[in-house]
Amino acid sequence: MLRLFSVMTLLVLLSTASAAVAQDPPAVVGAAADARDALRTMIEAAKKEGSVGYFDTVLQPETHDELTAAFRKTYGMPAGFPVRYTLSTTLNLITRVEQEVGSGNVTIDIASIASPPWINGLVRAGHIMQYDSPAYQAFGSAFAAGLGKPGYYAFNGAYIFVPTWNADTLNFKGKSWKDILGAVPPGRMSLNDSGNSATGLLAYMGLRSILGIEYFKDMAKMKPVFILRSEQTAERLISGQDLMAFGGMPTRVHQYNERGANLKFILPEEGVVLLGQASFILAKAPHPNAAKLWLDFTLSEPGQTILSKREALISGRSGFKSPLPEFAPPIDSLKLIKMDWDSIDQDAIRRAKAEWQSIFMP
Amino acid sequence: MNTGAQGRFLQRALPIAGVTIGVLLIAGPFLATIIRSLLVWDGDSVAIEAGNFLRLFGDPRFVSAALNTLIAGSCTTILALLLGFSLAWLVARTDMPGRSWLETANLVPFFLSPYVGAISWIYLLAPHGGLLPWLARTYLGVSLEWLDIYSMGGVIFVLTLFYTPYVYLFVIGPLRQMDAALEDAARVHGASFWYTLSHITLPLVMPALLSAGLIVFVTSAGLFDVPLALASPRGIRFMPTEIFSMVQYPSDLGRAAAFGIVVLTVTIVLTLLQRRFIANRRFDTVTGKGYRPRQIRLRTGGKIAALTLEAVYVGGGVILPLVALLMVSFSKLWTGRFLWRTATTGNFEYVLTKYDLTRTAITNSLFLALVGATWGVALAVLQSYYLTRGNPKRRALVDALLSLPLGIPGIILGLGFLILAIRTPLYSTLTIILIAYIARFFPFATRTVTAMFLAINPELEQSARSAGASWLQTMRLIVLPLLRPALIAAWLMLFVIFIRELGATILLYAQGTETISVAMVVLSERSSGYVAALAVVQLVMLLAAFAIMRLTRTSMSQG
Repeated sequence: MLRLFSVMTLLVLLSTASAAVAQDPPAVVGAAADARDALRTMIEAAKKEGSVGYFDTVLQPETHDELTAAFRKTYGMPAGFPVRYTLSTTLNLITRVEQEVGSGNVTIDIASIASPPWINGLVRAGHIMQYDSPAYQAFGSAFAAGLGKPGYYAFNGAYIFVPTWNADTLNFKGKSWKDILGAVPPGRMSLNDSGNSATGLLAYMGLRSILGIEYFKDMAKMKPVFILRSEQTAERLISGQDLMAFGGMPTRVHQYNERGANLKFILPEEGVVLLGQASFILAKAPHPNAAKLWLDFTLSEPGQTILSKREALISGRSGFKSPLPEFAPPIDSLKLIKMDWDSIDQDAIRRAKAEWQSIFMP
Repeated sequence: MNTGAQGRFLQRALPIAGVTIGVLLIAGPFLATIIRSLLVWDGDSVAIEAGNFLRLFGDPRFVSAALNTLIAGSCTTILALLLGFSLAWLVARTDMPGRSWLETANLVPFFLSPYVGAISWIYLLAPHGGLLPWLARTYLGVSLEWLDIYSMGGVIFVLTLFYTPYVYLFVIGPLRQMDAALEDAARVHGASFWYTLSHITLPLVMPALLSAGLIVFVTSAGLFDVPLALASPRGIRFMPTEIFSMVQYPSDLGRAAAFGIVVLTVTIVLTLLQRRFIANRRFDTVTGKGYRPRQIRLRTGGKIAALTLEAVYVGGGVILPLVALLMVSFSKLWTGRFLWRTATTGNFEYVLTKYDLTRTAITNSLFLALVGATWGVALAVLQSYYLTRGNPKRRALVDALLSLPLGIPGIILGLGFLILAIRTPLYSTLTIILIAYIARFFPFATRTVTAMFLAINPELEQSARSAGASWLQTMRLIVLPLLRPALIAAWLMLFVIFIRELGATILLYAQGTETISVAMVVLSERSSGYVAALAVVQLVMLLAAFAIMRLTRTSMSQG
């Protein structure tokens, strides 16, 4: 009788345990045994928070939709768990975050933007939540290269600005940044509006360090059109308004070519500025637990795969295999222009902006 | 308190409350902007000084933005006055064929968003990629590449198209009411057609022209949308885009506020000058003397010229933009021309069913327009009651105060509300956008309702009160039914304006509080197809409001 009772008790306990495991979402099942309870607690807290919101400067809505669906599944969130997303220009995103942290009235949970100098300033001012994402373990070499700060942020994908053209309207054979000068008639090339784009300005600072100011003065003579968004840059090439884009994005080349365009780009021999789309949680984020889960997911292998496949973003995860090597080559295959992100402060940015404006918008 | 005393209390208190709310709505952002313009931070310490103004005036970017704004505002005003007056005169005073249809068609651009207009004209006239240059080159062998929509000329052209109906609305009433005998007398005494027009007709509609000119100048110069789309790509600075840029990181709210104060001062001075000009002259067009409106018979050449003018205006303001939007919205990839092989309904499917932002934006815009228009009209009724039945000694001052928002550009009002709300729970809510909308646009409703109030003889109310009706009963059973046409007109006008508003919203929106216009700016930076599809959706909503207005036979020109 006692034996029967013991067996039945064991069966009940086993079935309860297996039911618990069966109810656990994939993230918990895949987590280390000692981290499971903490993760379960975080997921429950996130559910209670009810939503999460992030601002981004690159991701297209379709990518957001795929990320959201995978995120909900990974953490077992309800099907309707809202993940609010806003695609913004870099400067608008910075302005909003500055306004919110300045007033103490924070509505944004996570922001992703390629502006390390500004983010480092936020870290110093205590506006970024200290959080050691388990995903950071795979970003060791990126941190070592200065592309992130352990405990605060890593980049969920990096991109580059490179010369881009429409092969239907231009037969360009150049290999260097210098080949662009004079390649198209005046008024037929677009240029990132670095006066109103934080990342455009950083790219300008990097390129200026190797090409010199005279190069940009010569470029001003080409009467470029100033564009803020990479999507607009691509669309203007496709509609024939521009023949060349000084700073197109391989991301957009991939996305528009998928829809039937015939855009091309080069990786100039002098090198490119790698702009890491740093993701961070604001210290006063209204949904901190949901934000941590979202950050963990976007930096994880499945999250990085979606970002790389859809946006052709370059991953910073060690050993990550790019699904689109033509558009998102591995970092170590790129010739990168060296940027000392820690030494770029607000004064340096202001000086660069004033210089750019004096050249292109005197 | 007995019923009579209660009625008298409500009769006094409610209109005063309406006026007080109106004054507070204006004073809040106005004072916040003034105070912010005078505060200068140095580290942690703050001082009250004129540093922001000094930096502003010493900045060549300010000078260039102010100059460009002045040029565009002036040219738009002159062209809109010429075009608006001509169209109104043709419809009201001549026997031009198709007048009744054209009377309606001339008004359609009023209901369209200037931002959508600007985007449409980019599709139509972008150098090297526009539809019209391609058609002209392909079928006529003519090069139109010298036409560049990304220019000062492009900004003035699009602003003129969309501000002409303002002038049209202001002058068509006086032109209809004018006694033709005045013109006949001039012609009998040997005056030429042009002499009669310039010495008789134009002076008689001068108050309407001046009012329209002032509103067109102030609102077109303060419009953010069109310069954003057409001037920014060429680095041409305008006041609204420059203020927006100053608010961007690294923000300089003090200098932006100082810029706002400069613009407000200019606006107030212009308004005072206009009032003074009108006050010193007599412009009676309607007298007790009986007269019959008479139409001027156009010759064949005149009819052709009139219809050509109408075709250019309606074509440029309505038909061509609509065709361009439809083509782009049904294209998978916009290559500068419509290709059947890339035709798709995917853009509509996406913005209507798949993209959270546009669905949220449509819901928010509808909420803001429905609730905002209702509150705006309620406020207008109370204010109009005060302005027509209230203390006669204070009416002029109250009227002047309540008219102030007419001259405040949306971006400056948005800036004022941003400064006011940023440290409060109102920040990043739909409520602050709603308040900004009502604050910016209630005078439009108040003017429309006041005009109708003036036509209602107070004796009607007195009779009802003598018969024992309370004030509320009198309002409900006598006054409001008589006001009904004006209330519908004011409500629809606010609805339309709120659906397409961008200037104030662009500084106040947050995640989840985007409106259709904001979504269009976001989408315009991303995909031609999506933005065109959303523009068509907005267009349908605005044209539905227009259709309701026509079906209910509501006139907007009574204000």
